[in-house]
Order: sequence, then structure tokens, then C-alpha cells
Amino acid sequence: MSSDHEAGDVPPLTEDIAPGTATDPPVGSDDATTVTVDGTAVELPAGSTLLDAVEAVEKGADARGDSADGGTAETVPALCQYGREDIGPRSTCRTCMVETDSEGLVPACSHPAEDGSVVRTDAEAAVEARDVNLDLVLSNHNLRCTTCGKNGRCDLQDAAIENDVEEPRYGVLDDRDAYEPIDDSSSFIQIDRNKCILCNRCVEACNDVQVEGVLRVEGSGADTRIGFQNGAATMEDSTCVSCGHCATVCPTGSLVEKGIEDATTIQIPGFTQKNSVGKSYERDGSPKGPMTPKKAAERTDRTASGEAERARETAKEAASDERRDWP
Amino acid sequence: MDDSSLAERQGVVRVPADRADLVEAAQEGGGTVDDGEGPADDDAPADDEVTVARVGPTGITGLDPLVSATSGGETAFYANVDPALVTEITADIAEGSVGVVGDPLAVAGHALGPATFPLAPATPLGVGNRRILGGAGWHRPTEPSDHDAAGGFVDATLEDVVSGADGLQGRGWGDWCQDSDVEPALDRARDAFGEAAVVVNAHGTATSVGHSGADTDRPTADALLLESVPFAVLEGADHLATAVDAERVVVYVSEADETAVERVRTAAEHYPDPVTPFEVVTGPAVHRATEPTMALEAIEGNHRLEARLRRPGELPTLNGVPALVHTARTVAHLARRVRAEDVGGHAATRLVTVSGDVEAPATVELSETASLDAALDAVSLAGEFRAAAVGGRFGGLTDSLDVSCSPGSLAAGGLGTEGVVEILGADRCLVEFVGRRAQLAADTNCGRCVPCREGSTQLTELLRDVYDGDFERGAIAELLRVMDGSSVCAFGVEAARPVRTAIEEFGEEFESHADGRCPAGACFEPPEVPQ
Repeated sequence: MSSDHEAGDVPPLTEDIAPGTATDPPVGSDDATTVTVDGTAVELPAGSTLLDAVEAVEKGADARGDSADGGTAETVPALCQYGREDIGPRSTCRTCMVETDSEGLVPACSHPAEDGSVVRTDAEAAVEARDVNLDLVLSNHNLRCTTCGKNGRCDLQDAAIENDVEEPRYGVLDDRDAYEPIDDSSSFIQIDRNKCILCNRCVEACNDVQVEGVLRVEGSGADTRIGFQNGAATMEDSTCVSCGHCATVCPTGSLVEKGIEDATTIQIPGFTQKNSVGKSYERDGSPKGPMTPKKAAERTDRTASGEAERARETAKEAASDERRDWP
Repeated sequence: MDDSSLAERQGVVRVPADRADLVEAAQEGGGTVDDGEGPADDDAPADDEVTVARVGPTGITGLDPLVSATSGGETAFYANVDPALVTEITADIAEGSVGVVGDPLAVAGHALGPATFPLAPATPLGVGNRRILGGAGWHRPTEPSDHDAAGGFVDATLEDVVSGADGLQGRGWGDWCQDSDVEPALDRARDAFGEAAVVVNAHGTATSVGHSGADTDRPTADALLLESVPFAVLEGADHLATAVDAERVVVYVSEADETAVERVRTAAEHYPDPVTPFEVVTGPAVHRATEPTMALEAIEGNHRLEARLRRPGELPTLNGVPALVHTARTVAHLARRVRAEDVGGHAATRLVTVSGDVEAPATVELSETASLDAALDAVSLAGEFRAAAVGGRFGGLTDSLDVSCSPGSLAAGGLGTEGVVEILGADRCLVEFVGRRAQLAADTNCGRCVPCREGSTQLTELLRDVYDGDFERGAIAELLRVMDGSSVCAFGVEAARPVRTAIEEFGEEFESHADGRCPAGACFEPPEVPQ
């Protein structure tokens, strides 16, 4: 938003945008600071986080070709971090936990780089938290990499490899009955929510960068998912303008551009990204009008959809008593 | 205002405000209802008439409906009354006698016209102290004169408020300063003098969750305060508004607590000259909506509630301005301390609600030095005591309540400080209990962070595995450490507590389940006997 605008003098569209996410405080430091990471001191500009410090130490070591002496003691995946275009930090995956002398275990991506902070990436509690949280992310991820269009260019895959994950503690999402159908209804973008790690990058790209107000986070608990602000069940019925920014920022194979969804799958006849789950939403074939006018017409639906979502959540908790079967 | 307060009346019969039939019965007995419209009220009872006052709950639900009848220096308390008895009681008071009819629970002697609840020793009403709860069941909730007669509506200066806040700790998980001093937060809000907001978080949704189909949800202590003594809460909020020259003061309540919402709205309208007018805002009736940052999201109108990140050393914001977020309990305590009545000679007190396997829940006020055991005198257990979950929905399990209710000693025992003790009777399986709580955490978390969202799901699976003979104590402990240490908000931190304390205190029960036996006889089908 332009700084020339007075408060309240905002495009009408942004007033209606309801991404379903919380209003986080700024996470960067107020001033330029010096932080020590695993014994290496780095100077950082104002607005920096501890993750900036960690990355500065890693980059410094890489630049010297000296990662064995002078880099960080342990890898810090920071899986949900994007670090560009003012997207994030969402600080949801907690695979960036580090230990500080003054405040103990903290998430590096969303903790201000306070002057004089001493950070350890190899503290036992920090290593445990990063490893367990990475495995928790994997536990809810469809790990069919061989039929995934992001195979080889996936942040989650990279993190798992860098952390020597061979057998995740809690397994992976491998229950075909639990899979959500792949949303193949859009001509331009395919959604496989079984691979979504809820990093929220797509929602921020859609709302904060493109200011399109299409995607949102919805639901709670295990039902938390990326949905559409107009309440549509499929991408086709959403107000998407097919800008593709969501697919650009997606760290996994959850949002991919159509046409290249099988770019990196293993070439075995009959096995594709789309049929890997066994069920999908398809385009209904009806003619569609231009996207932008449709979006304007449906803008008011966002409020109704948000209210419906809130009512659903209250009813869900009311039903979530202890009457269910146990164990 | 004083001469319209109940303290000035000769004969008073106090009847639950939500029982129109009992009010009517009291009128039949010769009483005149006085809702306190002030001295100019033409309908106010004459001096020689019996006043019928509609009051809020006392917190001891097992005595409801409770009627108290005062004449001169005596008050008779009648529990579980019916309309016919209320008519008789009122007629009795009209004749100047107290406690003659029926079978009163207790008759207490006191000075003429007590402004707060008189002591009724050896009854549930006499358990602990009644300082914060002094007007509960005694004052007309929305009538300022009763609160005024009890020493309320103090004109406090900034220094008074700062002095009152000195040493005060936040009460409950809905408080930004839970179990820590409120003073640093107040100092930060004062840095934003004139632009800060005050939020009274009275959202706490329920003391416990249904068991075996029983609906045991009851308002927490915060909702009780709003139902019975809303001015005690609003006064504390007004003090904070004074200290920071607040631009907004918001009282935030669960939409399910309809009576509390109605009473505090009316009380807010009747409050004499508030520094900043009070707003009452409701939030959805879900447990997570009590968490302070989710409370702010709800007040700001977000349709979906998830936790915000916290910036170390700074206050959260409400629509961009720094906000002090304290529970109704905390601000009510502040109001008492500003009157200098709770400093010096008195130990701090805590409101404790006993629920679970009891005949009826009760909320009492205990000194921080008192043992939690003392609260059991206010309830009837529904069976033999087996254990208790201390600290609310995600309380810690213990087999002994011989622990003082100060936050320090509760924390030392791994227990929670929410002020709720859930009694678990002899037929309860504790493995099942914590398993269901883990499932509840998995179902109702906000969905934002991985350690809470996925952690509670995997925790539930690990507990289900116990029933298949696979009790992985180390794996469970590791997961609990990570939930506790890396969740975004207190929901995930606290969700780890029931299982952690259960394994520490009752580890052998998990071993038994892994061997196919449930000591409580609740979990496994008995083997079929061959015919």
C-alpha cells in the first residue's frame, strides 16, 4: 500500500480481504545489532531477526569456503520462512528453534536480533525441537515424491535431506482414505492439499502482495487448510485471477502450475501427480466469464463466508466433547 | 447513593435474580422488590417494608437456589429453597424474626446492615474468604449503591493504581501476565499514555468438559464475577484506564455466558463517571478464544481465531494501540488492592473452582497460603476421590490436593494455575482421561503452529498405541518437551501438561494398559467366558 495514502484511504478491496490469519507484531530488531551465533559474531542492520544472524554466519562461512570452521554448528531449516517480498515470517513450522543465553528456546525467524544476543544452534533442546517439528511436518505430508512435480525443487525435501531424515518419527501421510482430492479444476493452477504444510506463503502472496483476496486459511486443528475467501469448494469457483504467485512461493508440491505438474516425476507409465491420490476435482465445463468482474460481484460474499466459517468453528468445538470413542 | 443501598434496609430477603418464581413468592410473603433505581424511585420499599433484592450467584451451585433473609443483626441462609418456603421466610422477616421457619442452612450474626456477605462458618458459604466475592450473592449486581456502600468506586490517583499493582500477579491463562507481575506491563502501557487500551478478558469458557454425556460446563470465576459483582471488575478496569488514560476499555466475554454479558452491559451503563466508557464485546464460545492474543483477534472482529506471535518485552496491540490484557479476576484484585484492603495484613487470595466428579461445582476464594484441600469443603464428592486435574482444561494430574494455591507451589508440582480443580472419582481411568484431553487439544487448537497442531495429533496416536501394548515413554516425553518448548501460545504449552503429569504420577497405569489391563476397569471389554 502506498505510504501516500492516509489511514482509511485504502483501496476498497483491501477492506474486504479476510485471510483468516492473525495480525502479528513486527519481528525485526529496532536498531542495528551485533549477535553471536555459535561463537561467530555478526553485525546486522535494524529490522533483523535471529534467523538473519544465523543465515549471515552460514553465508559468511560459505563465502570463505569454510563451512567446517566458522559456519553454524547445526543446520536450521526454517521451513516456512520465505524472506522475500515481505512474505512472512509466519513462524508456524518451528523448525528454526535456537537457544539464546537470555531467553532460552526461541524461534529464530520471528525473534528480534537483540544486541548482544548469544545464539546456539547446537543446544540439545533446540536440535530436538527442530528435529521433532520437522518430523511433525512430514507426518502430515503426502510423501509421494516420485509422482510430485516439485521433486528435486522442494523445500521440505531439501530440509529432510539436509537433516538426514531417513525414517520420520511419526511416519508420513500415507492413508489414501484421508487424502483430500486434488483440485484440478483450474486451467492454470493445481492444488494438492495433501502436500500443504500450511506455511501461509500463498495466502500472503495472494492477499498482501497481489491484493487479490482469493486464498485464506480456514478451519482449525487437523482441519486447518487453505481455502477460498468466497467460500468456494474449488479453484474454479473461486475468484482466482490465475496470477500464479501462490505457485511461485509454495515450498512444496501443493500449488503447482498446470502443464508442469509432472515435470519432475519419475517417468513410469500410468503414474502421474494427478492420479497419485486417486481422486480429484475437475473443471465442470461450463463457460466462465472474466475473472475480475466476477470477483467484484462476489466480494460481499467474503463476509458471509467468514461468518459461516466462524459459526462452523463454534459448532465444531461444541461437538468436540468427550463422548467420542476412546481409545 | 448510600441511602438506596441494601445496607440501609431493616429487612432484606435476597433471592437469585434469575428465579422469577422465587421473587414472586417473596412478594406474596409481603416483600417489595427493589431494583435500586435510587431514592427517587417511587416503588422503593418504605423503611418498615421487607426489601426483596435480586442478587447474583454466590459461586456455590450446590446450594442453589439460595435465599438469605436479613433482619437487624442476623441473617438466615436457606439452601435449595422452593417458592412456598420463600413466602414463609419473607413473612418471617416482616415480623422481625430470623431463621424461625423452615430449616436454615445457617444463621449468622453480624453488625447492622452488613455491606458484604456475612460469614457463615461450617457451611460451604464459609469456606475460605469472601473479599473479591464479598458482594456475590449479596449485592444487586447492576445497582451501584450496593457496591458503593461496600467501599467501592474509589477515586484513585495514578500513584494509587501503581501502588496497588505493585506485587499483583495476573490470574488465569487469559491474562497477558499470567503468574507474573502486572507492573511491567502497566509501565509499558503508561509509555503510551493516552493511546493505550484496557481489555478485561472474562472469556474463560468452561470449567470442564462433558464426561459420559454429562454437561458439566459452568461459568468460570471470571464469568461469576461479571454475573454477581460486575462493579468489582469494572472498578479495577477503571483504575487501569486512569493509569494509562485509556482510549478504549473493552470487557470481553464468551457469547455463551449470556447472563454475564447482560449484567456487565447494564453495570457498565450504571457505572458512575467512568474515566473511559466501557465497551462489552463477545467472542465465540471456543476454549482457544480465551488466549490473550486470540481474544484481541476476536475483539478486532477477525472471523477466524489463531494465536499471534509475541514480541518479547512488548505489549500486544488492539487495533494498533498497546493493550493491557488482564482477566476479570486480576482487575478485581487490583481494585481491592487500590483500596489498600488486600495489602499488609492479608495474604493474596485466589478464586478456585471445584468441578468434575462432584454433586455440584463451587467457586471459593482461598488465601494463597491455604491448601487446595480446603476448597473441597465447598462441594460434595460424587464418589471416592481418585485424583484431580489442577489447572483447568489442560490441568496437571495429582493424587493429593495438599498443595497451597500459590502459583509457585502449583508450578513446583507441575500443576496449572488456572484456578480450576477437576475432581476425578474412583471409577475414572486416568489414561483415558488424558487421552481424551489430548484428543480435545488436537480437535480444538487454532491450527497455526506445528508443535501444537501436529504434536497434539501425534500425541493422541502415541496414547492410542498404549492400548496396543506399545507404551513409548521416551517418545511421548520428547514430544511433550517440544510442544511445551516451541508452541506459539499457551494452548500448545498447556496441552502437554495432562499427559506429562499423568505419566509422572501414575506411570504404572500406562504400563498396565500396555499389558492389557485397566486398573479402573473402564477401558477393556471383559474377556468372554466360554459357555
